[in-house]
Amino acid sequence: MNIENTKAQMRKGVLEYCILSIIKKQNQYTSEILSTLKQGKMLVVEGTVYPLLTRLKNSELLSYHWEESTSGPPRKYYSITKKGVETLKELDQSWNDLHRAVTHITQSKKQTK
Amino acid sequence: MNTTVNINLANTFFYIDEEAYKKLKNYLKAIKKSFESEEGCEEIMADIEARISELFTEKLKHERQVIGLLEVNEIIVIMGQPEDYVWEEASKKSKTNNSDSNSQKDKKLFRDGDDVYIGGVVSGIGHYLGIEPQWARLIALLLFLLSAGSFMIIYILLWIFIPEAKTTSEKLSMRGKSINISNIEQKIKEGLDDVTERVKNVDYEKVSGRFQSSVRSFFNGVGSLLLLFVRGVKNIIGAVFIIASCVILVELFIGFFSAGTLGFVSTHWFEFAEKTQTPFWLLSLAGFLCIGIPFFFPLFGGI
Repeated sequence: MNIENTKAQMRKGVLEYCILSIIKKQNQYTSEILSTLKQGKMLVVEGTVYPLLTRLKNSELLSYHWEESTSGPPRKYYSITKKGVETLKELDQSWNDLHRAVTHITQSKKQTK
Repeated sequence: MNTTVNINLANTFFYIDEEAYKKLKNYLKAIKKSFESEEGCEEIMADIEARISELFTEKLKHERQVIGLLEVNEIIVIMGQPEDYVWEEASKKSKTNNSDSNSQKDKKLFRDGDDVYIGGVVSGIGHYLGIEPQWARLIALLLFLLSAGSFMIIYILLWIFIPEAKTTSEKLSMRGKSINISNIEQKIKEGLDDVTERVKNVDYEKVSGRFQSSVRSFFNGVGSLLLLFVRGVKNIIGAVFIIASCVILVELFIGFFSAGTLGFVSTHWFEFAEKTQTPFWLLSLAGFLCIGIPFFFPLFGGI
């Protein structure tokens, strides 16, 4: 069992949830999404995000449009779809449940000690 | 002093150092392999290229700066190793990897395009049987000499019917390695792909061009042989190879005649060729295939 791998798996598990939340707050283009994720220390490497964004888009949770930028090539701006908002709600719920459950378990452990 | 390459990455123009270019190209290739089967692969690649292009633009201080290995390595650190691109399949794949170890037996027969003297048939069979290519070649050479030419026909048939291992996955299944990302990546890192391959192909074309012309001059008698000999004398090894090829040539002539009895060529032709002593197109074709091919040895030796 590799501890780094476990950490990465943990982050990966909530990455979709985070991406959807970020985009729900504000339409963003790929680099902005990346920097937001990095600020939140959700990302170690950027590579993981690209296949994920495409997959979210293909399952119609996200859509995108191209926007011209003043400093370089056009940017791909992502926005959340109706279906995406619904999924996000579900994920919100399960995150809260998970958070509660984990807190419950870890804190009850402390008490027994 | 280094050569630079011009690249177009997501519609942006960059100067890139040759070494760095190779590395970047292999990196992109390895990434692509990791989700090749997935829907929207092209789109993901386009996004990744766009991002790399953006990162390069950020890093470059002025327009004419050349991207070096340093920049490419930094990009790879930011973007992550090919394994990092794999999402939920990661856990599934690590499971299937265990069963993949059984598939080591599922070797497939391919010609080895990377390890070629003639057509890569022998090295391919060597991989298939688990014999080192050098030994396989030695055995093949003995067969060449002992079978009096009929091995040649078998060889040519095998050359035609065995496909060459072109893609990385084919190359891995040729060697009986399981096809997973780390293997593919390792393969790409080994640099067996593209660049070296292309260099070899260039040589191959050069050589085949030369030996075609030498077959043409075969009509003029042994002149071409002398010519080749003169070329080969440039180094001793070359000469040794030529002598060896001469021996093979003689053996092949015997094979040539036995070809008539084997029924590959009609006896009319055989009689005609014997009477007239002048080869016509069929003989030239057979001569091309049978005599031209051993010329690879002196040529490879001579080059």
